[in-house]
Amino acid sequence: MAKRTFGTNPWTKPGATSAPPTKVIARPRRTAEVQAYLPEFFRGMAVTMKHFFKNTKEMVLGQKPDPVIESLNDGVTTISYPEERRPYAERFRGLHRLTLRDDGSPRCVACLCCSTACPAQCIHIEAGEYEEGDPRRGYERYPKTFVIDELRCVFCGFCVEACPCDAIRMDTGMHATPYDSREQFIYRKDLLTEFTGRDGSRKTANPRHEPGDPTHPGLTREQGEH
Amino acid sequence: MSLVELVLTVVKILIVVMFFLNMAALSTWADRRQGAMVQDRVGPNRAVVPLPNMVARGLVLLPPALFGVLSIFTSLGEVTGRLALERTTVNVQLAIFVTWLSLLVLCAKVRSGGAINRAERVFEDVDPRSIFFAGLGVHALGLVAMRLVTPQGAPMAAKITGFVLGAIFLIVGFYATSRVPEGPIPLRLAGTLHALADSIKMIWKEDFVPKNGDKVLHGLAPILTVFSAVVVAAVLPFGNDICFADGNRNGTLDFSDLGNLVATVPATGQCAGFRVPLQIADLNVGILYVFAMTGTGIIGAAIAGWASDNKFALLGGLRAASQMVSYEVAMGLSLVGLFLVYSTVRMGEMSAWQGQHAWGIFVQPVGFFLFLAAVCAETKRVPFDQPEGESEIVAGYFLEYSGFKWGMFMTGEYIELVFSSALLVALFFGGYNLPFLHPDGLTVAFGDTVLFQYKMTHLAVSVISVIAFFGKTILVTWVQVFFRWTLPRFRYDQLMKLGWTKLLPLAIANMMVTAVIVVALRNAGPAAESWLKLLGDISQGLVAVLTLAGAVALVVGLLEPVERRKFLVTSSARFAAALGGVKPTTQEA
Repeated sequence: MAKRTFGTNPWTKPGATSAPPTKVIARPRRTAEVQAYLPEFFRGMAVTMKHFFKNTKEMVLGQKPDPVIESLNDGVTTISYPEERRPYAERFRGLHRLTLRDDGSPRCVACLCCSTACPAQCIHIEAGEYEEGDPRRGYERYPKTFVIDELRCVFCGFCVEACPCDAIRMDTGMHATPYDSREQFIYRKDLLTEFTGRDGSRKTANPRHEPGDPTHPGLTREQGEH
Repeated sequence: MSLVELVLTVVKILIVVMFFLNMAALSTWADRRQGAMVQDRVGPNRAVVPLPNMVARGLVLLPPALFGVLSIFTSLGEVTGRLALERTTVNVQLAIFVTWLSLLVLCAKVRSGGAINRAERVFEDVDPRSIFFAGLGVHALGLVAMRLVTPQGAPMAAKITGFVLGAIFLIVGFYATSRVPEGPIPLRLAGTLHALADSIKMIWKEDFVPKNGDKVLHGLAPILTVFSAVVVAAVLPFGNDICFADGNRNGTLDFSDLGNLVATVPATGQCAGFRVPLQIADLNVGILYVFAMTGTGIIGAAIAGWASDNKFALLGGLRAASQMVSYEVAMGLSLVGLFLVYSTVRMGEMSAWQGQHAWGIFVQPVGFFLFLAAVCAETKRVPFDQPEGESEIVAGYFLEYSGFKWGMFMTGEYIELVFSSALLVALFFGGYNLPFLHPDGLTVAFGDTVLFQYKMTHLAVSVISVIAFFGKTILVTWVQVFFRWTLPRFRYDQLMKLGWTKLLPLAIANMMVTAVIVVALRNAGPAAESWLKLLGDISQGLVAVLTLAGAVALVVGLLEPVERRKFLVTSSARFAAALGGVKPTTQEA
């Protein structure tokens, strides 16, 4: 075999001048044992029977390994969907939810950042002004309608990234149920505010500081009059 | 043929055909289930019947309650003498068995589902194996304790043990019923319902016939396949000969004689009255009829390939025909050595010979493996399933079949499988005989030294022999199904070479060597004969010991606890662990 040098190859480490040692695998010999077929046949039967008895026993006695927690053990670790379900990972982007303030209204201020960021154009928001005399009037608006077409959504998570108020989240840990009509995939504000996060809460861990609160960091109406 | 013989024959046909058809359906299920278990899958068990809770509870309660009440009622009657002693023994042993089995089930339940009260919490740390071994110990103790029962005290003992047994049955039944969980219980029967659902689906599917195919032949082919598979069962002896006494002494067997089953039969199996063989037809050509009829199975496959107007189907039909013709030769010749040893081709006499001497697998080991290979090729199953090789010719000769006709091909294949197992049992695994079980009862003897003897009635021996034959057939079928999940398919040239250049010469050599040995032994004199008898008895003892060891190993293996390592690396594993594992939930929309 001609000796190859690896020095000229820019992809190899400097100094690797000789070929790595090759592992020589001997060609299987046609021994009488192999040719007779029966010894190998019995060995194969022993292997399959071992699996059969072990797995059957574990299925019958309810000892089968947990398909998620003990999935690296030997045995039947397939999940019988939909009776058994693997919980989605912590950061799984599932169905959207609209988070709530302390008073139960959506945190959304109808800034349209999410619908602008959405590459699938599946979010539709109609903004509304608060009533005259409402302390929030003039500071923010509220979504009169907030609609997400879950069938169009590509679950990229850009809306969550874009939201300045932590008002939209995808941490429900749920996927859209397969319905039988397209209309049913259109989720409206009432449904989106119904969903809870993985922790069961409709709020988020991030506190919201309403205008008028002492903790409110921004300008208030009074300061604006100076 | 008299009317009573006709009726008996119809009954025998019903027994055999029902067994073969049911076993064909069950082996379809067993095939799928084995494949799943070998490949670490759950397997097909989607078909569910939700049982209403009350029905489920009733099903759990009914059998033990029935047995319990039956036991108490039978103990109310008076029994005396030997019968009372026997009944006490049976009561004690049954009570012990039911107790340890229920404790074992409870232990498994507590280990998998958790204890629900303080009494159950005791079982959390109990090794199930210790329950099993303790149960075996108590069984032995119970047998020893029977010596304490005096003949005078036997009727009282029978009564008390009967009540205790009934009480145990009732307690077990009611406790098991109380443990049935709330809500409807999903009934899956380990996936058998899935096979049932599949067969229902098969009936309602469209029966497709290719436009340019031969309509008549297309319909005829599956019928021929099933016919040849079923009809061969006529010569199988599935139990030892039943002996009826001539009750009214008129010299002919009539319906009133059917009640007069002989009480006992001598060890040689002689029958003073009328002998009814448990075999549909005791043909004098015997096994040759089997060869003739399996030969017609070729026609079904070949016609199916021809009538389908499909080149792949035609190729499959050609392959099936050439393969079956080739292996027919090896199959016949591999058994000639066996005929020389048994000196008969009648199936009934072959089984009887094996009971008196040794099983066929011990006298013809080479012939056994040759016949096994040939018979696998005849049934067209893996590793000899080139006629339906999916990777090459889609589905082979039944490519253009759908619905029930396809189902008939499948049924035919599985009946052939069960039948080939029955044939292997009848020829090589002692037929309906069990080791040391003779027509007069159990006699453990090596040569002329009798170690143990237990007389049994003719009825008991006959029932055991029938169960033995069907049980062995089920076992061999199970092993044959296993070939499919172990062996890869041969190449077509390998198949032909194996048949013509390996099996055929080996079969001829086996035949010649056997002929020489048989002639030599027949002329060797009485000394050699007694040695052969001893060897035969040793082989029987070997079978008995191996079977018992296998049974004990199976139970001990079943009870072995498992230890698992948990891997809580991913967040979904942590969520699952917080929920207490991935548990079955009710199915949502």
